[in-house]
Amino acid sequence: MMTELLTMPLFWATLTIAAFVLGQQLYNATGNSPFIPPILTGVALIVTTLELTGTDYSVYMQGGNLIHIMLGPVIVMLAVPLYQFLHTMRDQWQRIILAIVLGSATTVACAVALTWWWIGDEILAKTIATKSITTPVAVAITEQFGGIAAIASAAVIVTGILGAAMVPALLKVIRRDDPQTTGLTLGVCAHAIGTARALELGAEQAAYSAMAMTLTATLHALVLPWIV
Amino acid sequence: MPGLLLLLVFLLVGSLLQSQFVLPVPAAIVGMLLLLVFLIIRGKAPESLQQTTKSLSPLLPLFLIPVSSGIITQQEIVSDYGVELVVILALSLIPGILVTGWIMAGKKKQGDKP
Repeated sequence: MMTELLTMPLFWATLTIAAFVLGQQLYNATGNSPFIPPILTGVALIVTTLELTGTDYSVYMQGGNLIHIMLGPVIVMLAVPLYQFLHTMRDQWQRIILAIVLGSATTVACAVALTWWWIGDEILAKTIATKSITTPVAVAITEQFGGIAAIASAAVIVTGILGAAMVPALLKVIRRDDPQTTGLTLGVCAHAIGTARALELGAEQAAYSAMAMTLTATLHALVLPWIV
Repeated sequence: MPGLLLLLVFLLVGSLLQSQFVLPVPAAIVGMLLLLVFLIIRGKAPESLQQTTKSLSPLLPLFLIPVSSGIITQQEIVSDYGVELVVILALSLIPGILVTGWIMAGKKKQGDKP
């Protein structure tokens, strides 16, 4: 019976949702610790279960795909916050664009240069170039230029978790921690996970983070395939 | 529900355009840009679309779990370079945060905001 269960797509889809719900509860229980976001717990639980039951990832994905398929519409959905903030942010347009372009270029260039210099693997360096884009977009782009989707996804998540924790602290040190700057920097450096953190800090932070995340993703999606 | 339908239609159109013209940009991003243009022309986000956005947004991390769990297929790279990659990601964030913060807040008048 157990082996039958382990080959059922519905079982893996259900388990994925269960892992996410558990992740959310753990997150709430730890007072929303930025180092334990629900996605980290969710992935850890799924990977552990696959390891323990010796299940192949392709078998898991027959069920995982039922959930994965929702990623497309959710990316399209990002147009809604972007549209809503277009009006309120119009008079800061130039500064916002400059901060997003230079800020995200700096962190990506540093990551690629460090990977190249330290590990010296071209495919890994290419893959890590997508680290600042929200996962669905990063995965789609990586697949297009022959990077490793799973590593891209992991790099994005690690960046998001680190960024969500580091951004507010570091901005405080340089005294640039007003709500708009905090939100924008979270969106640029920590995408969706940063935006989730911004949502906890306040409405203004959340608005700027969602906008910056969308613009960073769009910018990188348009530019990276041409230069990588 | 009409909101979700609208998202799917734009995703579908984006996919068609992407494969038809072999665009280097993912289909979902094409769909997103098309929806943005649609909203700008329409001048307002439909109520149903705002509802869908509100209910789908908190679920975003859930939709990322299946593909992220694919890390299990890359154990070789993780065990060879995992620590290095995490250190690289942490280090590269610092200049990024500083540059973004300085540009975004830099032009503000002194004492304007703490």
